[in-house]
Formats: sequence, C-alpha cells, structure tokens
Amino acid sequence: MSAPAIRIAGLVKRYGGFTAVDGISFDVDDGSFFGLLGPNGAGKTTTINAIVGLSSITAGSIALFGHDVVADWRAARVTVGLAPQEYNFDRYLNIRDILIYQAGYYGLRGPAVRKRADELLERFDLTSKAKQVYLRLSGGMKRRLTLARALIHQPRLLILDEPTAGVDVELRLELWAFLRELNAAGTTIVLTTHYLEEAQELCDRLGIIEKGKLVALESTRVLIGDRSLQDVFLELTRR
Amino acid sequence: MNAIGLQTLIKREMVRTFSIINQVIWPPVITTVLYVFVFGLALGSRIKQIGGVPYATFLIPGLIMLQVIDGTYGESSSSVFQGRFMQSIQELLVAPLSALEIVTGYVVAGVLRALFIAALITVLGIVLVHTAPIDWGLYLLVIVLVAVLFSALGIIFGLMAEKFDHIAMLTTFAITPLVFVGGVFTSIAFLPPFFQRVSLFNPMFHMIDAFRFSYTGHGDVPLPLSLGVVAALAAGSLGGALAMTARGYNLRT
Repeated sequence: MSAPAIRIAGLVKRYGGFTAVDGISFDVDDGSFFGLLGPNGAGKTTTINAIVGLSSITAGSIALFGHDVVADWRAARVTVGLAPQEYNFDRYLNIRDILIYQAGYYGLRGPAVRKRADELLERFDLTSKAKQVYLRLSGGMKRRLTLARALIHQPRLLILDEPTAGVDVELRLELWAFLRELNAAGTTIVLTTHYLEEAQELCDRLGIIEKGKLVALESTRVLIGDRSLQDVFLELTRR
Repeated sequence: MNAIGLQTLIKREMVRTFSIINQVIWPPVITTVLYVFVFGLALGSRIKQIGGVPYATFLIPGLIMLQVIDGTYGESSSSVFQGRFMQSIQELLVAPLSALEIVTGYVVAGVLRALFIAALITVLGIVLVHTAPIDWGLYLLVIVLVAVLFSALGIIFGLMAEKFDHIAMLTTFAITPLVFVGGVFTSIAFLPPFFQRVSLFNPMFHMIDAFRFSYTGHGDVPLPLSLGVVAALAAGSLGGALAMTARGYNLRT
C-alpha cells in the first residue's frame, strides 16, 4: 500500500507560551480531496505552513508521500504545491516568468517548462496577460495565477488556502470544476475554506480544527449525515 | 544540490537589478563622475601626488570601493526585506532550496552586481583620468571579498529590519561615515597620529587600502593585514547570514 499523501503525527506548534496546534494527528490519502476547516485562529494556516515548510514544528512529525518534511525536506517539498491566500508574486517578473522562475526554484527548466507555463496560462485564461506584471491583474486573474504557479512543477499534492476568497460566483464555479478535474486526474488536494458549501461540494473527507485540536475527522457524508455542514460546524466549534 | 534553483535565484536577482537600473546602476556612475570632476580634477589639481601617485589615481580606487560597498549592501538588504514585506520570498521558502543555496544566490548576485558597477567606474577612470589597475587579480579579489561581505550583511539586515528605515540606519550611521573617513579621498598618513591608529580599527579603511594596492602597488598598511581583515569580516558576515537563514529568522514562523 502506498504512503498517504500527508501523515501528521502528534503535531504541536507553539509560539512562546501560545499553543497554535496542540497534538493533532491525521492522514490524507493519496488521491483524496480533503477539507481542513475551522474558525479564524483555529490553527489551519499554521498546520498548512508546517506542511509546506513555512513554519517550524515544535513536536510531532509530518510526512508527505513517506518523506519527512524535516529529515527529507527536499524530496517532501517537490511533492507539494501551495496556493496561498495572499498574493505573494514576484513584482519584478511578468506573469509568464513568474511560472517559469517558480519551476526553476524547483530545479526545472527548458522547453518542457516553457510549454507547461504556456499551457497553464491558456488553461487559466491568462495568455493575453503573459507579458504583464501581476499588479495589473484583476483579483480573479491573480487568484487563477496563484493556482497556475502552484501547479507549474506538477505536484502530487496541491494545498489551497482559501482558493475562492474574494472571487465572484462564476469564477468560483469555474475553479470548482477545475479542481474536480485535477483531483480526478490523481492530484491529492487539501483545501481550507470558510465557505462551508465549498467544502461540502468538493471534499470527500473533512477535518475540523478548533483551538489547535482536531475535533472531527470523518468522510463528508458521514460527518454531515442528515444535517447541514453549517450546523455540524457550529456545534463542534462553538466557543 | 539544487543547481537550477540556485541559478534561477541569481538570474531573478539580476532581473531585479536591471529593472531598477536608475536606482542601482546609474547613480553610482553619475556620482563618481561628479566626484572625479570636483575632487579629482578641480581640487585635485592643487594636490600633486599622494604616496607617489597622482591624486586622481589615488582617488579612483576609493570611489570604486565607495560605490561597491554602498550598492551591494543597499541592493541585497532591500531585496531580502522587500521579499519578506511582500511575502514573495515564500516562493523560495516552499521550494526545495537549502539555506546555503538561498544565501549563495543572493551573494553571487551581489558579487556580479558589484563587478558590473566596478567595471563601469573603472572604465570612467581610464577615460577621464587615464588610470587603471596594475594588479587585476588583486582588483578582482578585493571586489569579490567586499561584495560577499556586504551582500551577506545586507541579508542580515534585510532579515532583521521591520521597516525600510532600519535598513537605512546602517548606511547612514555606519557605512557612509566609516567609508568617508576610511581613506577614500585622502591617505590616513595625513591624519594626526592618534587618528591614524584609530583608522586601523575602521574596516572600511582596510577594504579601501587593499583595493588601492591594486592601482598603486602600495598601501598605508601591509597588504596581508588589510586583506586578512576583509576576508575575516566577509567570512563572519557570510556565516551570520547563513545561520540566520538556516534558522528561518523572520522567514519561517
């Protein structure tokens, strides 16, 4: 049996005296669509940052496809693409180069990378903006560029932090369709979102974090049962 | 070793440099032309020689060091700080790039930038005052050591700064004063004995003195001493930048 896409065991993250993540453990199966939910400040982004290497780990361990993110960090990072909530593009590069340089940081270059960058620009309807700097893009275009950049090195695991925050309904539905297509093609996806209908619509399994602890981990269908996800969420996270 | 990642970072830094060429490349060149006209040709015509060489020949290496130090620190520190401020540095942090590769990328880019600025000013020296290095090996060695030192120092301050003002503090209160009293315009031999001894503790003096050796063939202190000071400072600064980046200081939470 292949290693899970993510295996988190006893993850603890403290900032001084504050415990942001308090001993959570869970697996995300290879090929699944996993939703990590929780109120603001619950520890979702800290957990994601620990997975991708933006945050150090106080205790516990994380492995991506069997590669420990600390001991075997280089192999682990190659497997994952992050689409952060904030737009953090390089302002000195044009849109096409943002993709090509990101591939370069992952050790990839040449005609295959340029071809993939052009395909992603085409897929996300950004070809006409290829030579512009990102500051000139609309919010929806920036959101699409975030996804394109996360996918340039063809990661096996895609992590999306609020991927549809601030986008209109049409683009949201478009992104949902794209993510379903990507997942069906074998990419494992981890999603954090405040739009509960988005998690319900897309994810086959959900984890809910509250005050740094995992308070639910179940398949979406079983977790919700005959209620709404909002009711379940509020019941589990009411402070 | 992620060689392609490292090369990509160096290339990215050079793209940044040439996209803000009016801030990074032309100011040191224009400032140097002005210094040469005012100090070298106007005032310098009243000073016949310093240490056996024409004043203009004495002045040019000091001006090159002045611009290399200022430009290298300024670019490296602002690039790192801006990356943190805009969070674009996360593109590097999530990629399979080690701290050594990240620091090497910034430092190599800093060295290339320094060599480019130095080359332009060297050409100005040849054209305007007909002076050129007599020891090109030493010329390159000192530029590389000084650029490594100030690129690494730029990384350190780029990591520590909470606002651009913090980066400017080192330039305003340390680099500029120490460079100006470090022998750019005059030899420390002109100073009273007490200040000559004090100058020996000024690191900028050793950088300028070692570099001037490549133009004049002699310095105020023995070359091994000045080169040793510069090399030790470069090693210390590089070690500090590497340790902070490896720790994720102000980079990873």
